[in-house]
Amino acid sequence: MTRYEHGGDEFIFVELAEEMSLEANFKAMAITNKVREKQYPGIIDICPSNASYMVRVNPDLFHPEQLIQELRTLEQQVTIDDFEISARIVDVPILFEDPWTHEAVMRFRDRHQDPNSTDLEYAARINGYQSKEALIQAITDFPYLVSMVGFVPGLPWCYQMVPREQQIEVPKYVRPRTFTPERAFGFGGAFAVIYPVQGAGGYQLFGVAAAPIYQKEPTLPDFQDSMTFPRQGDIFRYRKIDRDEFDTIRMQVEQGTFRYLTKEITFTPHDVIQNPKQFSENVLGRLYR
Amino acid sequence: MIKVINPGLQTTVQDLGRMGYYEIGMPPSGAMDKYSHRAANLLVGNDEFAATLEITYMGPTLEFQQDAVIALTGGDIPPRVNNTPVSMWETIQVKSGDQLSFDFVKQGARVYLAIAGGFEVPTVLGSKSTYTLCGIGGYEGRALQTGDLLKVGDGMQRPVRVGTCVPKGLIPEFSRTHEIRVIMGLCSYRLTDESKDRFLSLEWTVTPEANRVGYRFKGERLNFVPREQPFGAGSNPSNVVDLGYPIGSIQVPDGVEPICLLNDAVTGGGYATIATVISTDLNRMAQIKTNEKVRFLPVTLDEALEARRVLNDRLNQIKQITNK
Amino acid sequence: MSDHTVMSPIPGVFYRKPSPDQEDYVKEGQHVNAGDILCLIEVMKNFYEVKAETNGVIERFCVENEDVVDAGQQIAILRVE
Repeated sequence: MTRYEHGGDEFIFVELAEEMSLEANFKAMAITNKVREKQYPGIIDICPSNASYMVRVNPDLFHPEQLIQELRTLEQQVTIDDFEISARIVDVPILFEDPWTHEAVMRFRDRHQDPNSTDLEYAARINGYQSKEALIQAITDFPYLVSMVGFVPGLPWCYQMVPREQQIEVPKYVRPRTFTPERAFGFGGAFAVIYPVQGAGGYQLFGVAAAPIYQKEPTLPDFQDSMTFPRQGDIFRYRKIDRDEFDTIRMQVEQGTFRYLTKEITFTPHDVIQNPKQFSENVLGRLYR
Repeated sequence: MIKVINPGLQTTVQDLGRMGYYEIGMPPSGAMDKYSHRAANLLVGNDEFAATLEITYMGPTLEFQQDAVIALTGGDIPPRVNNTPVSMWETIQVKSGDQLSFDFVKQGARVYLAIAGGFEVPTVLGSKSTYTLCGIGGYEGRALQTGDLLKVGDGMQRPVRVGTCVPKGLIPEFSRTHEIRVIMGLCSYRLTDESKDRFLSLEWTVTPEANRVGYRFKGERLNFVPREQPFGAGSNPSNVVDLGYPIGSIQVPDGVEPICLLNDAVTGGGYATIATVISTDLNRMAQIKTNEKVRFLPVTLDEALEARRVLNDRLNQIKQITNK
Repeated sequence: MSDHTVMSPIPGVFYRKPSPDQEDYVKEGQHVNAGDILCLIEVMKNFYEVKAETNGVIERFCVENEDVVDAGQQIAILRVE
């Protein structure tokens, strides 16, 4: 049952589902796309999120109750059956168990569920994997939908496009860390993330992304139009790399020549939900063809 | 130019905020007390969007290297020009070589300094506001430091007569206990009824971490309705599937200490939000100091919109006074 | 001889020492010079150094280490000789 709630006098929060699912995420995307098209007066922000969305409005220009009525109508009209998403498939290189993230992982052991193992070992164990290598394989075998962007500028919440029983799920730290290195790759709940900037954080940390996803001063071609790289609806494939490739990418980033490997794709939610495994294979085939 | 002799505790350049980038995770930043920010700009003949200095707890010492018309509004941190007390909420003329300094804070927490023409810093994504976490906007993306030189812009729209002042009735007063109006909701269904009542009846104490990101409150533990956590939410009962946080929304990580998210906060995350401070009372939140007491008062949307109308009306009165 | 009250200019957490594993800045009964650091006040993750305004002897501190203090609260008495 969808809940419509006022966040003070300027925000409207709409929770489509309490649990995460591709259906709820696509529905939020479809509705917020429509809200954007409608160009209602006074709209300040339209923020799709994982299984919900939020709209900020100037209530002097458009009464929030009236906006809720509009949103309810849209909810009825919009189906994800005829909804097409045009997005990018992106190859995102990750160095797992890198020294910098490892240092942070060890520094905050007293805030973790299991002070005697690493985040990766812990996550492998509670998800029933024989080894951390097996977990890394599960993380990198299938692509992710960028289901929400936020927290800090450019942080992508990434939901793996696999059947529910195959989803990796981990708790957040018992008490959040006060430090997370820039570009750390982590996991919390059912979401993989990359931390765009150094800061606090509570996700389990597995590695580091070789390339930035946020640039305050753009030096790379991927950031000429926006400080932030991820967009909702993007499909990210996290690829395990070794230290040599990591160092090469870091050098390209320094020189301003690095570019993410991307391909355009148009797909329907139906393609994904019907057969996630098939969809994943198509995506990876297309990306590396 | 204006030279920073001493930066104070945390002095930043702010305007009405960086609007429209919430969906990429960019908070608006901007003046915490927008009423005072606007009033200061009106007193010097600026557009309300012009950049002011937001001064927190402890004033800076500034040296004017040019003649200027300024105004100081907000909480009561008594200002002095060349060591002589000057009035707040009034259009003041300063001369090249004058020094502005401040006494200890008496009431409130933040003062706004407007200058005719506005403070000139680069515009980033449509705003001059400082967002220190990412080093964006304002003076080099950070709070002022000793030796900084602030430029004055040419954004003055109309001259305002020196000595123009905001009448007492339009100057907000701040005590050490505060009533902040909220609209309950968002994910408040996650709290037990008893905890919902307790949230509204307790007197909460503001902790020392209170800053532009958010205010944290000490009181009693709040409890969540037990449930099997939905898929993707995480294991703590205060967790939900990560969602967007309205500005002014209040969350209670692990049920321990409520946090009210403000101008520089994270835009989303995985904690259940239970209420939102109404927009007019965010101005009052900005004037609450560490260790002061807050009660949350539930209101309806209509009451929130009425409060908004009243505040706009007061600003219009200031507009008329400064337009004479 | 007169007593000089040291006040906290800001609200926050009061610390007698620069970090948990270091010595107090000054002991009660100790002589200080104007400008010497007496204590720290932490607020908004900033640390503010409270300094002696005159030469004198710290008669006593009025608050305990790590207490939360208000702006304008008396935190120490300095006996001016």
